[in-house]
Amino acid sequence: MGILDRLRKSAPRPAAARGRSLFDDEFQRKLEMLALVSRRVFAGRLRAERRSKKRGSGVEFADYRDYAPGDDFRSIDWNIYQRFSRLLVRLYEEEEDLGIYFLVDSSMSMGFGNGKKLDQARKLCAALAYVGLANLDRVTVVGLSDHLVSRMPTTRGKARIFKVFEFLSSMEPQGRTDLTEALRKFVAQHKRRGLAVLISDLYDPAGFEGGINVLRYNKFEPYVVHVVDPADGRPDLKGDVRLYDCETGEEREVTVTEALLKRMAEALANYRAGIEQFCTSRQVPYFPASVDAPFEELVLELFRKGGFLR
Amino acid sequence: MTLLGLPFGTLAAIFGGVAALTTVLYILKLRRRAVAVPFARIWDTVLRDKESSELFSQLRRWLSLLLQLALVAALVLALGDPRLGVMATDGRNIVVLMDASASMKATDETPSRLERAKAEARRLVKGLGVSDRAVIVQMDVLPTPLCTLTGEVTELEGAIDRVRATDTRADLARALSFAADSLRGLARPEVVLVSDGALAVPDTPALSTLPVSLLPVGKTDTNVAISEFSARRYPLDKSRVEVMLEIANTNDRPVDVQLTLLGDGVVIDVSRLRLGPNERLPRFYSDIAGASRKLEAQLALASGRGDDLPADDRAHALMPERKRSRVLVVTRGNTYLEAALLLDEYLDVSYVAPADYPPRESFDVTIFDAVAPPRVQNTGSALYVNPPAEGSPVPLGKPIRDFGFDTWDRRHPILRFTALGDVQVANGFRLLPEKADKVLGASELGPILVSGVRSGQRFVVLGFDPRSSDFVLRPAWPLFVLGTIDHFVEEDTGYLSSYRTGESWRIPAPSSAESAELELPGGSKVTVPVKEGRAAYFGDRAGFYTLRSGSAEGAEYAFAANLSDLEESRITPRRELEVGKKRVALASAGTPGVRRRLWTMLLLGVVVVSAIEWVTYHRRLTV
Repeated sequence: MGILDRLRKSAPRPAAARGRSLFDDEFQRKLEMLALVSRRVFAGRLRAERRSKKRGSGVEFADYRDYAPGDDFRSIDWNIYQRFSRLLVRLYEEEEDLGIYFLVDSSMSMGFGNGKKLDQARKLCAALAYVGLANLDRVTVVGLSDHLVSRMPTTRGKARIFKVFEFLSSMEPQGRTDLTEALRKFVAQHKRRGLAVLISDLYDPAGFEGGINVLRYNKFEPYVVHVVDPADGRPDLKGDVRLYDCETGEEREVTVTEALLKRMAEALANYRAGIEQFCTSRQVPYFPASVDAPFEELVLELFRKGGFLR
Repeated sequence: MTLLGLPFGTLAAIFGGVAALTTVLYILKLRRRAVAVPFARIWDTVLRDKESSELFSQLRRWLSLLLQLALVAALVLALGDPRLGVMATDGRNIVVLMDASASMKATDETPSRLERAKAEARRLVKGLGVSDRAVIVQMDVLPTPLCTLTGEVTELEGAIDRVRATDTRADLARALSFAADSLRGLARPEVVLVSDGALAVPDTPALSTLPVSLLPVGKTDTNVAISEFSARRYPLDKSRVEVMLEIANTNDRPVDVQLTLLGDGVVIDVSRLRLGPNERLPRFYSDIAGASRKLEAQLALASGRGDDLPADDRAHALMPERKRSRVLVVTRGNTYLEAALLLDEYLDVSYVAPADYPPRESFDVTIFDAVAPPRVQNTGSALYVNPPAEGSPVPLGKPIRDFGFDTWDRRHPILRFTALGDVQVANGFRLLPEKADKVLGASELGPILVSGVRSGQRFVVLGFDPRSSDFVLRPAWPLFVLGTIDHFVEEDTGYLSSYRTGESWRIPAPSSAESAELELPGGSKVTVPVKEGRAAYFGDRAGFYTLRSGSAEGAEYAFAANLSDLEESRITPRRELEVGKKRVALASAGTPGVRRRLWTMLLLGVVVVSAIEWVTYHRRLTV
């Protein structure tokens, strides 16, 4: 029996069953409250007024570029031609209802520790998706590990939130984490760009940076929600133990002492600080979400921080 | 340092084996507990830092192994029982004589003299030197060693705990002889006597060479005692009882006492008496009616305060149960015989003519009056009165005339209360007894009254017709007839002196039994041998006893035993004794804790170190 099998067998109950119980009536009432709050915060905005970076036929000037044969003559700025003798075409920002992609990490590490991280990720995803659907955005939910595990078809409208619930409930922790590979496949399958909300613990042996960069390089707007379990930094270990990675099965023999646990906590804090620094330096919104914090508070804080809705 | 346990070579071998095993176990890598972590890469950075301290960890590991080996060495050394100081051969050999006589039950010490003596003995034992050896001997009427000659304090203390006070006197001479025999040939012999000194001091000069010392116990000597207690049924009226008792004051001052006599638990008599210093006062209670079974005397100080020795304040006697005896008289008619048999209401008498003999029923006793038919089994024991020559169990000799009882056995139960000296007989026969027969009465012309056993049946033969004498006109006649019947059915009318403790008892039992079960006062039971109708037992406890020898009727016999020993009732403690004209010195109880037993220290050290290691390991201080 492999380590991963043992870990699966030790799981208290199927994640799907637990997921269904997550989205109960109480949860739905909280979502309704969050939607109201979000409308107050962003009052005065029109529907589907998310501005895309795609240049198009909108009314708001965006930039110039050189004329090329086939361009619409109406877009040529004749005043510039008079002054500089160059044919430049005016570009406008195209307004459209762009999509929101929720990329939920469903690897084995998200199910570690009684599945608290995956539960928190599901709740956050459901809450944000509800707000998005309420704003008539196009919402897509994708589960990923080292590949695209599952995908909920793009949908819009508040009434479709139950499909989101159903999809999230069916999500099981499985596979190892490889964000780079999984997100490469994601961008290859989704040509329509948009906001990509990555909800993950970012425990990627190959490095969390690759996955975020794939989104950046393919003109998605990445938004990182880092699900954090404080218990990961203070494991209940003592004495001589054989540690194994819950995803890869890699083993290490360790004699655990108080000093070692302290160093371990410091190392994990440095790892998280590294993620935040990476995101900040690349203007990628980063939001740490502890499993111990109530999700509605997290969602409201996320709204206040901005970036998710503009 | 001296090893009193295992020798050094053996210890070295044991240490080598255990140390090798410990080292192997230490080197063997234990299978570690598998624990899952969410992201093992995080641990890599931590473990890289830890490698720098690996050298210290290795050193700590070796130190831990050395500590384990040191603990093993300490345990193995403990097996050797190392002692510091003098060699074992230099020690003293001590016989501790623990007085367990009745006087040690005195309560002037709290809770008793014996418990005080035990405490003194324990202090003595704890104060023994490293090489000293001792043996604990219970001293009552017989010396009883309770352990071997040993230096083990726990064994000696266990023996002290087993000392029990008995209701007997202490025989110091016998105990000293035992001690002398035990110490013969041993270096530095000593005898320590733990006693109240209320002993019969021996004056044997041979014992004066023993180095005897005394650990005295006891404080006061207020005591009164019942020193004698006897009771009997009247021979001609067995429903009435006569009691004789003696009370004594063992103090040097007068004392008022209250004496109570109870019959079957009911007070019969209460009297207040004054006893002078060391006075012994006999008392008789005659013609006591109503007590059929149990008689008890109780003595108490008139002030109501108890004396120091309650054990001698009570005395008991159990009367044998009356039983109806079936008597067959084979006669052609004998008025005097019938008259004698009328005197005992507990006799069930049947008369048959010689022609109607043998009977169908069973009888305890058969009286053959001038006849001697062949015996049958169901007729019990037999009294032949003037038997004919043919059929008599004792052959008849020449006829004799004008004779009397010139000699008779005054102590025999048949003739105990009779006066036969002036009986005149006109004519009769000289009896010719066999060797095993017993001549109970004889004239100068030959035996005229003989008892014996034929074919397992007891008999008594009277060699003349009482009607041709003045025997039938005397009180001796019915006493003789009834005494003979009582003798046959073993119903004693003599003084039923309760058995005295500290003696070998010969208890009546069925002749056919070879062993019997004796129930002691505490309820425990022992099996005792029976020989010639008597069970033998050495009794050392006062109280009620029951002897059982099978399930047949009459196979159960209850009796009482009393201390009844004035010497033991004299409980005045003495701190000065003389053995063989030599004064006994007082012993010192020694100083507790002088025995340095290293093995206990070693074990304690191992436990402490192990506890420290356990705590530090589980608190992750030493891993």
